[in-house]
Amino acid sequence: MDLRHRNNVNVMGNGTSTLVFSHGFGCNQAMWNDLAPPFLEHFRVVLYDLVGAGLSDLSAFDKTKYGTLDGYARDLNEIIDAYAEGPVILVGHSVSAMIGTLADRLAPGRIAAHVMIGPSPRYIDTDGYVGGFKRSDIDELLETLDSNYLGWSSAMAPVIMGAPGQPALSDTLTDSFCRTEPDIAKHFARVTFTSDNRQDVIGLATPVLILQSSDDLIAPVAVGKYLHSVMPNSTYCLVDNVGHCPHMSAPQACAAAMQGFLAPWTATRAG
Amino acid sequence: MPAELFDSAACALAVTGEDGTILKANARFGDWLGFSIAELCTRRFQDLLTMGGRIFHQTHLAPMLRMHGSVTEVKLDILHRDGHKVTVLLNGNKRQQADEMVYDLALFGTTDRDKYERELLNARNLAEALLQEKTSTELALQNAQAELKQAYAFSQRRAVFAEQMMAIVSHDLKNPLTAIRMASDFLSRNERTVKERQLLGHIGQSSERAQRMIADLLDFTQARVGHGIVIKAAPLDLHNVIHRAVDELRVAFPKATLVHCTEGAGETCLDADRVQQIIGNLVANSVAYGDLQQPITITSRLDNGAGAVSVHNHGAPIPQALLAGLFEPMTRGTDQGSDVRSVGLGLYIVRELAKVHGGDVTVSSCATAGTTFTVTFQNT
Repeated sequence: MDLRHRNNVNVMGNGTSTLVFSHGFGCNQAMWNDLAPPFLEHFRVVLYDLVGAGLSDLSAFDKTKYGTLDGYARDLNEIIDAYAEGPVILVGHSVSAMIGTLADRLAPGRIAAHVMIGPSPRYIDTDGYVGGFKRSDIDELLETLDSNYLGWSSAMAPVIMGAPGQPALSDTLTDSFCRTEPDIAKHFARVTFTSDNRQDVIGLATPVLILQSSDDLIAPVAVGKYLHSVMPNSTYCLVDNVGHCPHMSAPQACAAAMQGFLAPWTATRAG
Repeated sequence: MPAELFDSAACALAVTGEDGTILKANARFGDWLGFSIAELCTRRFQDLLTMGGRIFHQTHLAPMLRMHGSVTEVKLDILHRDGHKVTVLLNGNKRQQADEMVYDLALFGTTDRDKYERELLNARNLAEALLQEKTSTELALQNAQAELKQAYAFSQRRAVFAEQMMAIVSHDLKNPLTAIRMASDFLSRNERTVKERQLLGHIGQSSERAQRMIADLLDFTQARVGHGIVIKAAPLDLHNVIHRAVDELRVAFPKATLVHCTEGAGETCLDADRVQQIIGNLVANSVAYGDLQQPITITSRLDNGAGAVSVHNHGAPIPQALLAGLFEPMTRGTDQGSDVRSVGLGLYIVRELAKVHGGDVTVSSCATAGTTFTVTFQNT
């Protein structure tokens, strides 16, 4: 199987450790455009699109395999095996933080550390646990997705954007940003927002940096604190940011926090 | 833009900061949502949305606006102050203002169009569900057909095997049976006690019955798996043949009263042994199922060279449900008399024999007229 084609893998940078960036629900690897560049000097950097998103091979999408986050976690481990060199630090946004956790559980020791940006192990409130959402909120999201995919045939690219006056941004990756085949988007939304990975994060001993936005609807502060309390080697870092994508809206603050955390693995490859 | 034009625009307009805080909104925006402009300006745009809309904003809209600088035709539900939903289409644009980034938003009401679109969506979902149902039904049908075909082929093989086995076994039983008959004939030639004669009589009758069964089975297998029953037809006097046959049957069935009637005269071309076999089977059938207090009538009929024989008995009629399949192999009128008859092949063989003579057999049966089997022979 051609991983590069399946997951639109892009490898860059120079270092003895590898940073694998894994995007979250809704977008693709272009969301790392502002965060990844500062690390190219000291790290090997691997970017990829989850199957179903961005420029991944849509024909590889299989509702059974990707019916749980495990399918994505197995893909991630395959990408790590094929493209990573030296210690691997996974930078996962949102749902990808959980995909990374599952990958870690599936192949213990392969991932040396996690940077989790806006992570949440469980979105729906359950027996005393506060995830921030009710089941009906998720149904509402699916409805919103539905009404915004209305009229998008598979032949016509979905467009929730139209940067007509911005030709500079018209390269293929940014073009496909947030474009997902409607069926896949809904499927992924359901899998993401109904997942419960609390048992997977509890006791995870791998070093973890939690980058928590100060105001994030999707992953509220309480969830970040919960994660910090159940992962023994975690570092909690509150980033002053409104929204779920601090790596896009506050990339400098995120990079600064990461640089401190990544110090043990920071080294340019000799030669 | 003149303030008047901004406020009275035919759509809701707002300018937000990078974090979504509403910096400026027009009067239309306030009207639509039931808020004063001052109230709107303390809120963030995303906080006005339904929860589903907020998630969509965070996962799609906000990243999109940041990366592309614009979004168009995004449909969102905004909550009115009193809680009801206002469906809008949103266009947004990123703009650099002094040293900060702002977003210009324009919202168009689309409640009615939204209803129509939802109907379309529902119709599409329904169509997709029906299509899926149809596809899975077709698949199930295909599987069932394949299974049926397989089961049919399997049962065909089993049936052929069973019939072949029956042919072999019936054939092989003939030799030991002949040995038993010869030995018992030999024994009966000498002086015997009464008891011994009685026992030899049983042996003789039983082996004769067994021989009849085997003859039936061989005829059956020949009709089914062989090349069909072969006859040796020759010109003969039908009345005479039937007369002799009835005489023999009187000996075989001493409890029954057999009456022979004749109609017409002349010669016809038939296999005498097979005609005797037909009459034997039909009379045995009447003896087994008919009322023996009343006579069994055998009528031989000749008309212009065409022959026919019928056997009539009184008694309970054959149930209507059984009539249709009466000449199929392994069919019995009732369980009564099962020790008299053979394996349920008698009537099947009668029909096969009639057919090789170019004729057929029919039956009529009712409570008042009794039961009549009629075999016709074509003049060959």
